[in-house]
Amino acid sequence: MSRVVHYLNQFFAGFGGENAASTPPGVKPGAIGPGKKLQELFGTDHEIVATVYCGDDLAAASPEAVATILDLVAQQRPDIVLAGPASTSGRYGVACARVAAGAARAGIAAVASMHPDNPGLDDAGAAVVIASGASVRDMGTSLERLARAARKRLAGESLTEADGRIGRIPRRNVLVDRNAAGRAVDLLLARLRGEDAPAEVPIPRFDHVTPAPPVADAGKATIALVTESGLVPVGNPGRLESARATRWLRYSIEGKATAAAGEYASVHGGYSTVWANQDPNRLLPLDVARELEREGAIGVLHGEYLVTTGNGTTVPNARRFGVEWAAELRRAGISAAILTAT
Amino acid sequence: MSVAERVGAVRIVPTRGIPYPTGDPSLPPAEERAWRRDLLLRALKAVSTHVTGPTRF
Amino acid sequence: MAGSALKLLSHRVTTVTLGPATRYDAGVLTVSATDARRALAHAAIAECRVSWASPGDSARIVKVLDTVEPRTKAPGGGGIFPGFLGSATSQGHGETHVLSGVAVIAAGYLPRAQEAVIDMSGPGAALTPFGSTHNLVVEFTPAEGAPWENVDAAVRLGVLKLSALIAEAALGAPPDDVVGLPAIPHTRASGLPRIGAITNLQTQGTFKDVFVRGKSFGAASPILIDPNELHDGAIVSGQFGHPALKNPTYMHQNHPVVAELRRRDGKDLEFAGLILAPEPVEVEQKERVAAQAAALCAAAGFQGVVITKEGGGNADADISLKIDALVDFGIGSVGLFAEMAGAEGTAPSLVVPPERGTALISTGNYDEVVRLPAVARALGGATVDVAGAAATAEMELPTAVLYCSLSPLGAGRLTCREAA
Repeated sequence: MSRVVHYLNQFFAGFGGENAASTPPGVKPGAIGPGKKLQELFGTDHEIVATVYCGDDLAAASPEAVATILDLVAQQRPDIVLAGPASTSGRYGVACARVAAGAARAGIAAVASMHPDNPGLDDAGAAVVIASGASVRDMGTSLERLARAARKRLAGESLTEADGRIGRIPRRNVLVDRNAAGRAVDLLLARLRGEDAPAEVPIPRFDHVTPAPPVADAGKATIALVTESGLVPVGNPGRLESARATRWLRYSIEGKATAAAGEYASVHGGYSTVWANQDPNRLLPLDVARELEREGAIGVLHGEYLVTTGNGTTVPNARRFGVEWAAELRRAGISAAILTAT
Repeated sequence: MSVAERVGAVRIVPTRGIPYPTGDPSLPPAEERAWRRDLLLRALKAVSTHVTGPTRF
Repeated sequence: MAGSALKLLSHRVTTVTLGPATRYDAGVLTVSATDARRALAHAAIAECRVSWASPGDSARIVKVLDTVEPRTKAPGGGGIFPGFLGSATSQGHGETHVLSGVAVIAAGYLPRAQEAVIDMSGPGAALTPFGSTHNLVVEFTPAEGAPWENVDAAVRLGVLKLSALIAEAALGAPPDDVVGLPAIPHTRASGLPRIGAITNLQTQGTFKDVFVRGKSFGAASPILIDPNELHDGAIVSGQFGHPALKNPTYMHQNHPVVAELRRRDGKDLEFAGLILAPEPVEVEQKERVAAQAAALCAAAGFQGVVITKEGGGNADADISLKIDALVDFGIGSVGLFAEMAGAEGTAPSLVVPPERGTALISTGNYDEVVRLPAVARALGGATVDVAGAAATAEMELPTAVLYCSLSPLGAGRLTCREAA
């Protein structure tokens, strides 16, 4: 009989709705709320030994909360962790995804359940995500599908689209017999013969972003300059990476009329930085931004610029930087940001 | 479709070169700066314009 | 008949050593350090050292720059590496001698060179072609005050000279293998599909440039080139970014796609030819080059094309735009791409996929982490800065740092598969 830990948010764990969204992480023995139906479906084959819960606001935004959740999970010595169903609830979906991803990283089998449109879908790392219905009305069928997937996962079987699997399936490097040149010619000849031979790389889908409403009057607004060009003060005091950046930095431009050569340089490894180092305004257009600020075309130029290196950056990191920049700039009262991209 | 459009950027100002997005080393310095000023004005126009999807300015 | 016939005479090297004179004798290659110093003598280089790193050695080469296969056509070079050693004419005919199983590797610091690692044993060795070659590692000290561009050019020229010089030692020896590479006829009636190749060369200026017959290919338009010219060093790499996604000189000399097309010529395809194209930095130029390359494929009668790149996500566009442009000419194609799928393999694989084609081969995930064991000695530098470690230490690195591990020319056997 396998040990199952179920993760729920504050609502399904019985603490309340939005008012309880900051409920700190905790654990209750056995199955609660929707977990009871899950346990029914498992019968005596698998036991939900504990339910770990947390308020959505904490779980979706605080890495410390997720770490605490994962500790509570690990203490139960589970064979599998199940999170959700989160339906279309965004923060709950993100929380379920992060809990499942963390469990998977710790070597524990993990399955999260949410609707395919849930924004948390791509945060599940190496964990499996199974599609749920769109709302609480579908809870019954969502739980049935989750239980079936959990059984298969515990039996060591792989989960596919037919099981309701959604989201990204981790890709792993593998050494095969033929070199890539040989495989390329094989694929080309097969396709020329009209065969439906499978390619080796899936065509990725990309995000649709809802546009922010326009700035009413740029001459009254605070505008920020941000960049992924890797432009930093000479000497790179913040040790920004030249590739695969794991961080972003911020530097004051108060009182600076221009991005002066000799004061700034780019550490970006993905392009030749010769031209930019000759005149850093070619990466960060500070000279003309100041001019436009003086003339009133820009209300106020924000006193800092934000920078990272966009060279082989992983999408999860890039997405995190974007979310953090947005939060940071909104906190500082910025209406618009101009991003220079290389 | 450009990289910017594919990744969902909705306000896009195309420039002249990856190593110098707000520069053009082929121009003499005064002209380059004037071109950069125009570019920034286009960017300000972009943030002040209502858009519904990827739009080039 | 267009194109030209070339005979490749290979001399296998089984044992390597350093000694007073450069010699090749029944598979044993001896290199003289004095000869090496003479080959690299230049105002921009203060001194240089050579050492061997062989398959199975507990050794790691760090700060890897270019790698070259020792080849020559005659004493003094005979035209090898046109534009560098020889005059900038089209070679690829007559006879060329190859010391096979050996690579000359320059290793050391150059600005904007992204840190590259070759392990001669352990899990890293299987992930690079140079884990199976006897590597003559050339380390150098720049002359004081020498501009880095001059150091780069000096090391490049010196390594080519040294490669030709070493190969000369085998000129008198009977070859172990002789391969005839006939000219590629441009009109045939075999009924087999006519398959060509487009090789995209990285051309991003100093330290990220590739040379064709001695000249930067930066502002060039796509050209049709006799594939046999590659055997004589028509393409030399001065490109030091993206270690896993690099096509060093050695790979152009041993072009895997050309080799595969040659191998199958007359069997299940007609090898129709080779086009070289630059990888411009500006999107408009990328589009222009893609259109030109597609038109050249049509003019040369290609029915299918294998397209390769050099570099990271930026270079994906150079393949994708060509795949899309070829559709208008009714020409099918396949592209070789590396994936940037994140450490867990769940991020989108490509930065710029094609819009009108789906035939994509994966040369592996750039971001997957590899753990390398500690080694007894390291060449090329004392540290691996991306790992924050001593060069001999145990370290974890993304596959991106292992030299040629995702070989964009298709030399490697790495690919990506979905985990359960």
